[in-house]
Amino acid sequence: MDISMMCYKKENDFVTRNIKGETIIVPVKGHVSDLDSIYTLDEVGTFIWQFLDGQTSIKQIVKTVCNEYDISPEEAEKDIIELVGSLEKAGLIHASANNQRE
Amino acid sequence: MGHPLFRLEIQNYEDWSLKVHQKLVPQRVPLGGSIEVTWRCPNKCVHCYNNLPMNDKDARCSELTYKEHCRILDEITEAGCLWLLYTGGEIFARKDFLDIYTYAKKKGLLISLFTNGTLITPEIADYLVQWRPFSIEITLYGQTKETHDKITGIPGSFKKCLNGVQLLLERNLPLTLKTVVLTLNKHELWEMKSFVEKELGIEFRFDAMISPRLDCSHSPLAVRLKPHEVLELDLQDLKRVEEWKKFAKDLSGYVIPPEQKDKLYQCGGGDVSFAIDPSGRLSICNFLPGNTWDLRKGSFQKGWENFLLEVKSKTITRHTKYVDCEIVAMCGMCPANGELENGDAEEPVDFLCQVAHLRAYAFDIPVPSHGDCEYCEGGKDFRKLMQSVEALHQGKNSTGSNQLLTNICT
Repeated sequence: MDISMMCYKKENDFVTRNIKGETIIVPVKGHVSDLDSIYTLDEVGTFIWQFLDGQTSIKQIVKTVCNEYDISPEEAEKDIIELVGSLEKAGLIHASANNQRE
Repeated sequence: MGHPLFRLEIQNYEDWSLKVHQKLVPQRVPLGGSIEVTWRCPNKCVHCYNNLPMNDKDARCSELTYKEHCRILDEITEAGCLWLLYTGGEIFARKDFLDIYTYAKKKGLLISLFTNGTLITPEIADYLVQWRPFSIEITLYGQTKETHDKITGIPGSFKKCLNGVQLLLERNLPLTLKTVVLTLNKHELWEMKSFVEKELGIEFRFDAMISPRLDCSHSPLAVRLKPHEVLELDLQDLKRVEEWKKFAKDLSGYVIPPEQKDKLYQCGGGDVSFAIDPSGRLSICNFLPGNTWDLRKGSFQKGWENFLLEVKSKTITRHTKYVDCEIVAMCGMCPANGELENGDAEEPVDFLCQVAHLRAYAFDIPVPSHGDCEYCEGGKDFRKLMQSVEALHQGKNSTGSNQLLTNICT
């Protein structure tokens, strides 16, 4: 499967807070202790986070990021795939049913 | 290829919290707030500063509605609030508390709950597992039902409290127990501590500082310990002694910046935190009567950015010994205490002055001169205070034979 064609969706059990440029992902429901760990995203990570809506493919995100930031598509794709992997591993997102979208 | 451009950081809570405070406090973001959802409570604790009967119709009618709570939660999160304390009265006295709480959780707030535990049911405990709070604190008033229920004024409240504790513990919820030490339960303090720490296996804290009621009644002071009894408790707990010493070390050398010196309010209230009472009055602190902004009439943003900023800019009108006192952190004297106890925000509370000086002398913390203070070297009560400290160091407690301890500080 071409990972760049995949879409990812945020889990419902988390809320994103942005406080004066500080983005944090707060667990709100389920067996997650608030105190275990806190997930924070840097500025560009926060930009990408908004596109993890289950509809936008990694390929589309790469295109948007390259329009917004001075980065090559190859570099962007590599870093985005790495970020998505971390988010998935942390249980903050999951692969969406709308995969393989162009 | 260097560092990845996009990063998810998984941070330890303490490190992250420190970083957030360092970054956002200078920007005057209202990071932390407390909301008293009601002043009604099934208990009638003798020392409480705000409790009202459960059937107090006026109190109930004046409380914010669920919709008003939601609107306020929208506004405080928009302003940057991250930590929220729900307290009372008794939070579960409101039938719709869990609805309010759930709305707050969905806003991404880290929520602490203060409760007396007596109204917690298996259903409520299960719900809290589902919507896990940041922390829960329950106050235990005694190790026996006689002592506990004497303080709460409600027979059976001890049993109900322990039942609530059990329900939360069974579900591994983040619970801490604490007590307020009074003349009525002082004799059971160490048993309580042992029970909570050793048998229940959770954290236990205690405090002996109580203040008059918000309605101006001084009735809670009838059960307040004497200053030397407060110190006696400090000295009996080695961990507490170490904590005070560390606190004093951290504090040493701290000087209030000159531009802050004439400010009436030196705390974080109004700079980083706020308080909201059951009818929606916004203030810098739950203990500060007056100086409130009505959130039913104006937005939180206006209240925070204009009204509370103005309150915080108030300056002192006279130079009391409190202004230059560098050991004030040893007692927690603040304008709210002055207002409640003396009817004057600037008037030092004698009880607190005694506690601060006793602690400083007992823990060998220097007490720089701070005006006309009777408890400092050369002051009229200095010798008596030092004798008291000496007696305490010798381990002669207030139930012992040393008459000094019962004569002093009265």
